[in-house]
Amino acid sequence: MDEDRGSLIGHPRKRGQGELESQVLEVLRSAPGPVTASWVQQRLSGELAYTTVMTILSRLLVKQAVSRSRSGRVYLWLAASDAAGFTAIRMRKLLDTEADRGAALASFVSALLPEDEQLLRALLDGAADGRER
Amino acid sequence: MGVFVFLPLILPLTALPIARLAEHHLHPRNAVRLLTWISVIMAVCSTLCLGLLFVVGTAQIPGNPLPDNWSDPEVRAAVPFHEEVGTAAVIVLVTVLTTCSTTLRRHLRIRVRAQHALEFVPRDTDLAVLPDENPYAYAVPGTPGRIVVSTGMIDSLAADERRALIAHERSHLANHHHRYLMATRLASCVNPFLRPLQQAVAYSTERWADEEAAHVVGDRRVTARAVARAALVSRHLPAPGFAAFAAPGPVPRRVAALLNPEVLPETWPPAHSPAGLAAMVAAAGTAASALSALNAAVALLLVLKAATPL
Repeated sequence: MDEDRGSLIGHPRKRGQGELESQVLEVLRSAPGPVTASWVQQRLSGELAYTTVMTILSRLLVKQAVSRSRSGRVYLWLAASDAAGFTAIRMRKLLDTEADRGAALASFVSALLPEDEQLLRALLDGAADGRER
Repeated sequence: MGVFVFLPLILPLTALPIARLAEHHLHPRNAVRLLTWISVIMAVCSTLCLGLLFVVGTAQIPGNPLPDNWSDPEVRAAVPFHEEVGTAAVIVLVTVLTTCSTTLRRHLRIRVRAQHALEFVPRDTDLAVLPDENPYAYAVPGTPGRIVVSTGMIDSLAADERRALIAHERSHLANHHHRYLMATRLASCVNPFLRPLQQAVAYSTERWADEEAAHVVGDRRVTARAVARAALVSRHLPAPGFAAFAAPGPVPRRVAALLNPEVLPETWPPAHSPAGLAAMVAAAGTAASALSALNAAVALLLVLKAATPL
């Protein structure tokens, strides 16, 4: 891309697109959580323009190597390899905190009774037998 | 209007036999729709009557903003035991509105938090598999609706059972089951007599999703096994706020229903069958509730109009 090339002119060594992408990805993976493009820009060695970082991030997004979410006026970026784990932690937190609250949630699902368990195991065995026949 | 004003508050008691019979004899889809409509209509009538009694009740409070004529003796005479009933209605209506708004806010908060938790999941897929050894599976309503399954759940199921699980959750999203659940939950906040309907709708939405999953997978036994296995591995998990795949308690009934032949979705059950009887009792109860609410509303409006000089 032209703007990339423009910002790279004058550097002692001309870096390839692949190299830049892997650098950005490395910085994102070292991030404590979702971060902004300027956070990435500050931590990259070398003086890349903000627009360059944005371009690289967008390219990584197309390749599904990163994911992003809008927060106010800026995007927050997260390496795709971290996204699932990050989401799992958030989901866990939600389930743990909301489950403690109120009769509204408790009445929605009742506990599996001990006799339910026996009954279920018997039904499961029955279903398995039926399948083998 | 007389004692008829109390009928819509009491008539939801007919909900208990209706819920039982519909749950057992109707196709789950029909049961969900019928029971939701009944509970919404009964809840609206019940609230309307509470509102009418509220008007009479507040008329006794000095300095209330309602027209003075509304506390005329003839208005009070329209309701039996107006003093006690009026005061009780004020308290009950305030409680009902508070409970409803709390329930609604909690529901919305959980939805927003869930969508927020999933914001980094790519938008091109509705399925998010999260690395968590605790087994869980949820349908998170929203635009787009998402299915969240933990690796703990995925690992404990066979490949064909996973397909059943995902089909079940997709059915929850595609048929907007959360709307029925929310409507009946609010209705049972309005009138606790409607609670059996809420439980029956909660059970029937699960059955509905089970039936659709069985269609997608093409095997009722596989779906039954998926439900049973998911329930057994997740039995110690806290209660979720969404339509869960493995809602425990009614699970053995769901599994048993899947192991039985399919119930065909008849448009209306024959009148002599228990299901037909249930439907007729339901229709009669709802109609009586609606009529007496209407009667009470019109009567009070006429009394108030007569008392208000124009």
